[in-house]
Amino acid sequence: MSNKVTIRRLPTGVPGLDDLLGGGLPEFSFNLIAGTPGSGKTTLAHQIMFSLAAPDYRALFFTVLGEPTLKMLRYQQQFSFFDYSKINQSIRFVNLAPDLQEGNFDRVLARIAAEVKEYEPRLVFVDSFRSVVQSARSEGQNVPDLQRFVQQLGMQMTSWQATSFLIGEYLEPEAESSPVFTVADGILWLSQNMHRNSMVRKMQAVKMRGQAQVPGLHTFRIGDAGLQVFPRAIIQPAEMVGQVTTGSTERISMGIAGLDEMLGGGLPAGYSLLTVGPSGSGKTILATAFLAEGARCGEPGVIAAFEKSPSQLLNNKLSALVSAGQVGVIDTRALDLSIDETLHDIIRMIDRMQAKRVVIDSLSGFELALAPQFSEDFRGSLYRMVAELTSKGVTILMTSELEDRYTDLRFSPFGSAFLADAILVQRYVEIAGQFKRVLSIIKVRGSDHSKDIRLFDISDEGIVIGECLSEYDGIMTGHPRINP
Amino acid sequence: MENASLQRQQIIASLLAQQPENIADAAMSHWEKLADEITSIVGEPGFASLYERTLHLAQSTFPWLTSDSSPLQPAPDPKGHRFVELGMCLANQTPAHAREAHSLLLTIFTDILASLIGEQLTASMLRAAWGNIASVTSGKEIDNE
Repeated sequence: MSNKVTIRRLPTGVPGLDDLLGGGLPEFSFNLIAGTPGSGKTTLAHQIMFSLAAPDYRALFFTVLGEPTLKMLRYQQQFSFFDYSKINQSIRFVNLAPDLQEGNFDRVLARIAAEVKEYEPRLVFVDSFRSVVQSARSEGQNVPDLQRFVQQLGMQMTSWQATSFLIGEYLEPEAESSPVFTVADGILWLSQNMHRNSMVRKMQAVKMRGQAQVPGLHTFRIGDAGLQVFPRAIIQPAEMVGQVTTGSTERISMGIAGLDEMLGGGLPAGYSLLTVGPSGSGKTILATAFLAEGARCGEPGVIAAFEKSPSQLLNNKLSALVSAGQVGVIDTRALDLSIDETLHDIIRMIDRMQAKRVVIDSLSGFELALAPQFSEDFRGSLYRMVAELTSKGVTILMTSELEDRYTDLRFSPFGSAFLADAILVQRYVEIAGQFKRVLSIIKVRGSDHSKDIRLFDISDEGIVIGECLSEYDGIMTGHPRINP
Repeated sequence: MENASLQRQQIIASLLAQQPENIADAAMSHWEKLADEITSIVGEPGFASLYERTLHLAQSTFPWLTSDSSPLQPAPDPKGHRFVELGMCLANQTPAHAREAHSLLLTIFTDILASLIGEQLTASMLRAAWGNIASVTSGKEIDNE
């Protein structure tokens, strides 16, 4: 028998937010939604309110000086969560500006208390909080008065048996050592980050008493349906990159004659394979063969295509797979993506399709599609993403464009080769006055594999692997010489 | 949206269909109830700016309407009515004329409100304000006339 109190967790109705909070909002908690102007605080509050409010779970929304209520109602009703039928029955708006203008905090507190008593809400919102601070300062009132006000409000809110929210405007988390930060059970921090010309919205659960929120900054978007949060992928201890998480020795076929033998009997399931090569060397064709073979074996696939638009779908073979429903396409042409958002889309698609094979074509295009500030941490984010995907047991094929260099041997422009379990290199060589394509397997972790450098051709049927260039030397210099 | 706009006109029509003896007093009472509801949501400054705009627009039809500098201030007399200037303006006109002006003011005011926050929300505010004095549940009786 446990006498411990069980705290009910309220689903927020904001996609992704419950995961970030560690399972929803604790009932009767006192929360602060803080952030810079325009960061989406009021939208977040409204979205939570409209999602939770019901005739037997009423919400009171106090507006203070911040945004004129007329404007707030005008703009918030553009979101799909805004439900007219809930207003007055389940949701009531109360404007506190007149009480505050008289500058008497006690009166504001009394007014809030009276309204709460009368309406008996289960959810209370006060929007916005910084304006309380500002109006106090402009009237030369004592800041201690204000602190007392906030503290009392916090205490009052706790005793109402209501889940309450203060919406506050701050510039930085530490800028204001406001007492409300101490009193609050939960603090959600919203920000907009500019980097070069792109803007990225981020959210942080700075504090969430009594539960394990996901630390760090998480990206979110505001669309027609309101906010959507993409909790950042965090590597769980068990899913280190490179470990064979499936623990099986199962190998899967690449769908190209001869390639499985080169890999030592197919690609181990759950591995990530990096295919590196210059433009036009056949990386996407290889990836298509990989997906087609999966479809043939009853293993659906997902492709995140960063290089071409869906209208000019890669090639006929791939578009046939897509229209047959055997391959799902994640098309991401926007240039302000975050890795987590992409990962979120890929995982959703994997779950929906029960996919076993994933293609990312290509890492170069992916990096371009990301907002600049994510590009800087591309390697780290990619590492987390590959870990997250391989932990789901899918086999990944990533392509990476690499200009041919004949002076040094490199496998990827991002130094990302280390996070692949297997590496396949394609390149051009000059033989007898022709550019020929060759490929070779550089690495298959924990497995024997062919060390041959083999010629290959691209025919209508796809990739055809040819003979081994055993009689040549210096192939990787681009100028092979026949062995004497 | 068309229906919702029609619904709003019906609410106003049913309010005026009651043929009160003293149109000025009735108008003041209608506006007080409306002001109570709307200021509780959008605050006094919000209401005052809408009201001022309404008067300004109505003055092109009824130039004798004067701008009420502080419509929400209770009158100094014991009854403490608000919208005193509006009441005085209306009281100086023939009942039919005053009635027409009152109707126009309500229509303009709710037009502006609806253009800002939508018909549905406006209609629900009007119902909340006048629910007990206007038979606004359906408006069928007006359709039948």
